[in-house]
Amino acid sequence: MEYLQFLIILFFSPLIQGMIKTTKARMQGRVGPGVFQPYYDLIRLMKKEMVISHVTSWIFKATPYIVFTSTLAAAMITPVLTTKASFGIMGDVIALIYILATGRFFMALAGLDAGTSFGGEGSSREMAVAILVEPMMMLSIFTAAISVGSTNIARIAEAQGMVYSPSHLLALSAFVVAIIAETGRIPVDNPDTHLELTMIHEGMLLEYSGRYLALMEWAHYMKQMLLFTLGVDIFFPVGIPGDTAFAGLGVSFALYFLKMCCMAVLMAAIESTRAKLRFFQLPSLLGGAFVLAFLSLLTYIMMGR
Amino acid sequence: MKNWIQAFSVIDFISVGILLTAVAMNAVKRLESCVKIYTLNSWLLSSLIAIVALMVGEPHLYTASAATLLGKGILIPMFLKRVVRQMRVTHDVEPYINNALSLAVSGILVAVVYASLRQGIFVSGFSKNVLQISIAVILIGLFVMITRRKAITQVIGLLFMENGLFLAGFSLTYGMPIIIELGVLFDMLMGVIILGIFAVQIKRAFASSNLDNLTILKG
Repeated sequence: MEYLQFLIILFFSPLIQGMIKTTKARMQGRVGPGVFQPYYDLIRLMKKEMVISHVTSWIFKATPYIVFTSTLAAAMITPVLTTKASFGIMGDVIALIYILATGRFFMALAGLDAGTSFGGEGSSREMAVAILVEPMMMLSIFTAAISVGSTNIARIAEAQGMVYSPSHLLALSAFVVAIIAETGRIPVDNPDTHLELTMIHEGMLLEYSGRYLALMEWAHYMKQMLLFTLGVDIFFPVGIPGDTAFAGLGVSFALYFLKMCCMAVLMAAIESTRAKLRFFQLPSLLGGAFVLAFLSLLTYIMMGR
Repeated sequence: MKNWIQAFSVIDFISVGILLTAVAMNAVKRLESCVKIYTLNSWLLSSLIAIVALMVGEPHLYTASAATLLGKGILIPMFLKRVVRQMRVTHDVEPYINNALSLAVSGILVAVVYASLRQGIFVSGFSKNVLQISIAVILIGLFVMITRRKAITQVIGLLFMENGLFLAGFSLTYGMPIIIELGVLFDMLMGVIILGIFAVQIKRAFASSNLDNLTILKG
């Protein structure tokens, strides 16, 4: 039973994306697409013919599958509804971050592969952001990990109560910035358009079409939901049961869904109220968040909680 | 009353907030935001004193809290805002080193302070963590002073140092006698007013409040 919980991330991630888009549209006074629009998009893309540039190598064709499966593998080691570990010792947060980094690496390669200038731009920007985001994410997770004494996500989720101490609050704020940067949302990247010269994520996907594009987009939605789940597991694991009893799972699912809705609304609110930063101002934002994560670790060490 | 202060570790949250406002000084780019952050810092300081007053029930701490709020939280920010407005142009802070680097340095400063005062040498106060935080705030204030070009930001760095010193003294002794605190507050108010007038005069004389201009001799 617990082996199947990744299916929730697999099938609900487009819904979360749709919820963010609809909420954002409502906040900006537009009607916006329905919450199921990402599903329709994916289905339509699946049916479309692919156009692949003849200068590309095998990397270009392998990347969608690598990105999709690495994200899926990361989803498998994350506790979603129950902390009964799906893959035992593998449920490690460091492993998870590096599994995601594999996908990112291949995505950047594929961006370079087609030889367009936009793809290369997107790749180099993605890597520049990743350098700043990864250590920050690690540090903010480590604060929680130290307080539990384990880097296993399930153990962290079991041991945490409510957010109680200053160090957790600092780590949480750094983690939110990390989520924004990783999912390419507005102060860092604009997810709505690939018509901008400042695009990061979209720039790498520019050469993809049809089924491959659908896989890449779906992997992106999954990564987004996965990061939300990770944040919820680490910082608000209220009501997540340790076994697979049916009643517990029901409550857990309801709570999980509620938390995901909260995250979606939070993201939409941040996107609607912030302006996109210039790329060269990003180190300031991400560096600030890095200092927050660093301070959270220090504060934890000093205060002991 | 004491229960919820303990239960929600209010003191820890407020003191970390004080530290955070000091660190945030390194991130802002506009003079108005500097003044706002200083105001926030003073309010947090004042509320920390009020919370401790609630906890230990010493009446003279309420006076100290109110005096801090009035002096550092309202009067000085009001005056600084006026000075910033009088200088009209250039809202930029113009630090010598860029924001990301100065943020990193302030993080390192905090780490050094925490590491060197790890064991909580003076544990007589209400919390063993506030002393570290106050010394970190002092150092960050000093760092802000030496890395900014504008006269006003140097004044704000000085004010941060003073807040840190006040917090340090407060955390060790539950506050000095009220007469001394009032004296310090009054001195500081005067100091800020004089420095503010100086800043405006520098601005008038050199058409810029950049202190680098003062290194050139005029004769």
